[in-house]
Amino acid sequence: MKKQDKPFAFRGKYLLLTVLILYGVIFLVSSQSVQLALLKSGTILVKILPIFGVVILFTSLLNFFIRPKQIAKHLGQDSGTKGWLWALAAGVISHGPMYAWYSLLEDLRSHGMKDELIVVFFASRAIKIPLLPMMIGYFGLTFTILLSFYILLGALLQGLCMQLLQTKKM
Amino acid sequence: MEKKQRKQSPQRPAFLKVLQKSGLSFLAMAPLLLGVIGLVGLFQVLVTPKMLTSLFQGNSLLDTLIGTMSGAIAAGNPIVSYLIGGELLEQGISLYAVSAFILSWVTLGFIQLPAEVEVFGGRFTLYRNILSFVFTMLIAVLTTLSLQGLS
Repeated sequence: MKKQDKPFAFRGKYLLLTVLILYGVIFLVSSQSVQLALLKSGTILVKILPIFGVVILFTSLLNFFIRPKQIAKHLGQDSGTKGWLWALAAGVISHGPMYAWYSLLEDLRSHGMKDELIVVFFASRAIKIPLLPMMIGYFGLTFTILLSFYILLGALLQGLCMQLLQTKKM
Repeated sequence: MEKKQRKQSPQRPAFLKVLQKSGLSFLAMAPLLLGVIGLVGLFQVLVTPKMLTSLFQGNSLLDTLIGTMSGAIAAGNPIVSYLIGGELLEQGISLYAVSAFILSWVTLGFIQLPAEVEVFGGRFTLYRNILSFVFTMLIAVLTTLSLQGLS
């Protein structure tokens, strides 16, 4: 059966509306805070725009070169250990805020990526490679190594727990 | 050859079309992302590092829980969490709490919950966040205990 394309529709309209109302209410109390918040939000947006670009390009490349069947094979039900390691590595390498990756993960999920691997991806994102030197500077090398090790182990265990929860649900 | 052509051509659309489709699906998410970014900006202004620091009590167990909760509420670049974490350590707050704080800063996010529910569904979001919350505290305790064991 051929998968039908979903019609275009904006998502999160109510969230955006709620946030705008919140800004409006706070503006009445302190207009300076709102100005500062808008400035901060603008700075964040400018900073993560390149990441959005990478995500769009990455999603396109995946959809162009890799067929849904192949995604399901590498990250789906029968992906095995390799799938777990892929999710773990992708989480560590991925840059920027978590929500920047929602669109790509949603796409992969619709092609068969397992929920437990999404959990592994999100959990392993706690390791920020570019920030490791700073973490070593603040908390020491041994702390950084131990924390990174437990983050990776914890990510896999969280994935396993999710798998158990999913099995229970079925 | 004809057979080979028939096999290849019908399934693979042009790259530009795929790019356009990805761009459109990302554009559909724009209000969701703008909402989250707006909230992050607002929280960065309203929830100051000073406020976060004042939450800690000096009790290791309670502080680990407070560290996890405050890290989940806070938003922004992880560098800020290191700065606050370093400050907390200097003030004598336990490493259990500081580890939980810097970890939950990146793995949990109350602000992005509405977006996560919208994209992945309520059940997935609930499970993932509960797991992340529990494991954040476990990892913080294990890291500190291991560090103490090694030194």
